[in-house]
Amino acid sequence: MLMCKDLAEIASDYIDGELATPQNLAIKMHLMMCRHCRSFIGNLRVSTDLMHAHSSSAPDEALMRKIDQRIAEALRARKKG
Amino acid sequence: MDTAVHKDSEHALIEALQHGDGSAYERAVREYSSGMLAVARFYLDPSSAEEIVQDCWVTVIDAIHKFEGRSGLKTWLHRIVANRCKNKLRSNKREVTTDFTEALDPELADRFNASRRWAQPPRLRFDESADTLLENGALSDCLDKHLSALPETQRSALMLYEAHQHKSEDVCNILDVSASNLRVLLHRARQRIFLMVETFQESGEC
Repeated sequence: MLMCKDLAEIASDYIDGELATPQNLAIKMHLMMCRHCRSFIGNLRVSTDLMHAHSSSAPDEALMRKIDQRIAEALRARKKG
Repeated sequence: MDTAVHKDSEHALIEALQHGDGSAYERAVREYSSGMLAVARFYLDPSSAEEIVQDCWVTVIDAIHKFEGRSGLKTWLHRIVANRCKNKLRSNKREVTTDFTEALDPELADRFNASRRWAQPPRLRFDESADTLLENGALSDCLDKHLSALPETQRSALMLYEAHQHKSEDVCNILDVSASNLRVLLHRARQRIFLMVETFQESGEC
């Protein structure tokens, strides 16, 4: 029988649809009965989505200014050298 | 924009860069950095990606003299970024490696009892969507911090697969890991993010 820890071990494969049908069904059955694992799968999904959303932000002006500064320094050093 | 005009203006920009014209650099940084950052984020966590982009611009000051215009400026810049990222990944290969036989992060594994049930179940449910959670700047900063602390291969797997939605086989090629080990890397990295968000949501601490 599939226990909570077994489910936790293959939770990402479940979320990504990588499991074979019997395992998938076993997880679905377990989730019907176990609210802790429902929370865990839900939270792991949000954690996964967080990565999509987090990486899509554009560079900000502070980074641009930092780059300007480093270039200005390097150009000055080049002129001296 | 008309391609011919675009080529002319790119040519003028390249000449200005070769002459070390500071304002030309400022224009180029604003035009090309967002694409360069997107490339760096294929490979690295956000803060390392920003560092690489900064370093690349400094490299460009010398390298631009060797730019022969066989490709567009943008492609050339993206290639510099990609090469730097790959080198960084390679040089970090001797890092603490992930134990591929363990599917669970040790901290999470400790939360189950001997009969494999939850001893310390998830302490709360993340009710908000990822987008809503990220509106909290402190959580976003905390995420950056934890991403930086992940073992490099876990982080790269997470960024390549999750954030940039590369296909699994591409990620395996870039990171030189088997498909099953990639699954372990992804799962382990996601658990770290889960544990981080749980602590943050519960206590506000990072």
